[in-house]
Amino acid sequence: MANALEIKELKKEYGSKAAVNKISFDVEEDSLFALLGVNGAGKTTTIKMLTGLANPTSGDAMIFGHSIVNEKELVKTFVNLSPQETSIAPNLSVRENLEFMAGIYGMDKEKTARKTQEMIEMFSLQEVEKDKAKTLSGGWQRKVSIAMALITEPKLLFLDEPTLGLDVLARRELWNVIEKLKKEVTIVLTTHYMEEVEALADKIAIMVSGEVKAIGTLNELIEQTGTKNLEEAFVSIAGKN
Amino acid sequence: MKGLIFCKRTVKEILRDPLSYIFCLGFPIIMLIIMTIVNESIPKQANMTVFQIQNLAPGIAYFGMTFVMLFACIQVSKDRNTALIMRLHASPMKSYDFILGYTLSVIIIALLQLAVTFLASYIVAIVVKGELSIPGMFMSMLSLIPSAIMFISFGMIFGTLVSEKAAPGVCSIIISVVGMIGGIWMDIDNMKGAILNISKWLPFYHGVKASRLMLAGEYSEMIKPLAITIIFMIATYVLAIVIMRIKLNKDTR
Ligand SMILES: Nc1ncnc2c1ncn2[C@@H]1O[C@H](COP(=O)(O)OP(=O)(O)O)[C@@H](O)[C@H]1O
Ligand SMILES: [Mg+2]
Repeated sequence: MANALEIKELKKEYGSKAAVNKISFDVEEDSLFALLGVNGAGKTTTIKMLTGLANPTSGDAMIFGHSIVNEKELVKTFVNLSPQETSIAPNLSVRENLEFMAGIYGMDKEKTARKTQEMIEMFSLQEVEKDKAKTLSGGWQRKVSIAMALITEPKLLFLDEPTLGLDVLARRELWNVIEKLKKEVTIVLTTHYMEEVEALADKIAIMVSGEVKAIGTLNELIEQTGTKNLEEAFVSIAGKN
Repeated sequence: MKGLIFCKRTVKEILRDPLSYIFCLGFPIIMLIIMTIVNESIPKQANMTVFQIQNLAPGIAYFGMTFVMLFACIQVSKDRNTALIMRLHASPMKSYDFILGYTLSVIIIALLQLAVTFLASYIVAIVVKGELSIPGMFMSMLSLIPSAIMFISFGMIFGTLVSEKAAPGVCSIIISVVGMIGGIWMDIDNMKGAILNISKWLPFYHGVKASRLMLAGEYSEMIKPLAITIIFMIATYVLAIVIMRIKLNKDTR
């Protein structure tokens, strides 16, 4: 299978500190790849570089064969993200937020209307579509935020801690949504929740202090470490510093 | 096209914020009333003309544009502080899409404010038995558009460069400068020396002059100040695009 993403020695320094230190890995097309790590591991910084929000200090990544360094503007047209902080226009309604994103990515009126309706149905947003975004609960806002990314028809979608701060029910519901998304688009998801990775990921990279310490499927990671489950595998990999 | 979509969203955000209406309606009307009362108490022999309605109306209309600058500045720095900016910076939007979107949306506020100012001035003129010609007011309003764009550009530049907290402070410096040497509150032409010289090197004096001459129908006189105003408008607008471009190429937060 072809690769959606190939990261080569990607590095980001803030001052003298490397937030991401020469990481390399590939993500297969039509899979869900999880980047697992504690706070400050460098997950968000990695996503920022891959979505054109931060310039790498060195290294590069190819997304569907295009360089994030030399073809940044092109890459932006087929990659999108749902940022860690919920990112929606507060005074716009849910429907307006979706239409706004479609427009920003150059869709015409007819397509904007069609895609907006599609997203509202896919994410079951009917009951809140006329509400101002700022009045929604955290769970709804997160769904809207992901829908705003998906409406732009990305070939690669980054979800940065999509279930952070959600209650158990909202989290479960979002997992169901993400399960559905997997069929449409290649996804890279970051999280520090083990259960989330177990439930959703095809492949996992464990990130510690800016470096990728282990990579593989769930079973591979458990096997490599000779442990019983992901949590123990994670502790055995992230714990030995 | 992306600029227009961005404009549409910004207009919605602006119209759904009550602060916009205070800016738009409250400010010019209050200034007008206060200054007219001041003028009524100035003895005729003093020969003070700046507060007479034919000079006051374009002056306040011009001064109002400095508040539009503050408004643009707040809008830009507010956006910078929301997480939405990450989405916008990750999108294929270019620097000129941002600038066009902000300019078009804020200029709606500027035009509304100009209309309110001249309408209120017309009423004041009737009350104080002054004279304001309706075509003159239209022409004066037109001549203020380049200044409006220049001030919006200033606002976007400051909003992009300085933090949300510092932005109003920086704008208030410009507002004071315009108040002092724009010739709005005092007759600069009769003040020889340094002040007049400084005024002539900055756009404000010329912008105010153009709007007053337009109102008076002195079209041949106003060509030069209007031309200077337009040159300043182009320069600040280009600068705003360049600064936005640099900002977009930097890391987002
Ligand atoms: N803009 C920045 N300036 C300076 N340091 C930063 C910046 N962004 C992130 N960092 C640092 O880089 C490291 C990785 O951060 P981040 O990528 O946000 O981690 P994660 O998303 O895994 O929690 C942290 O130590 C953080 O403090
Ligand atoms: Mg993070």
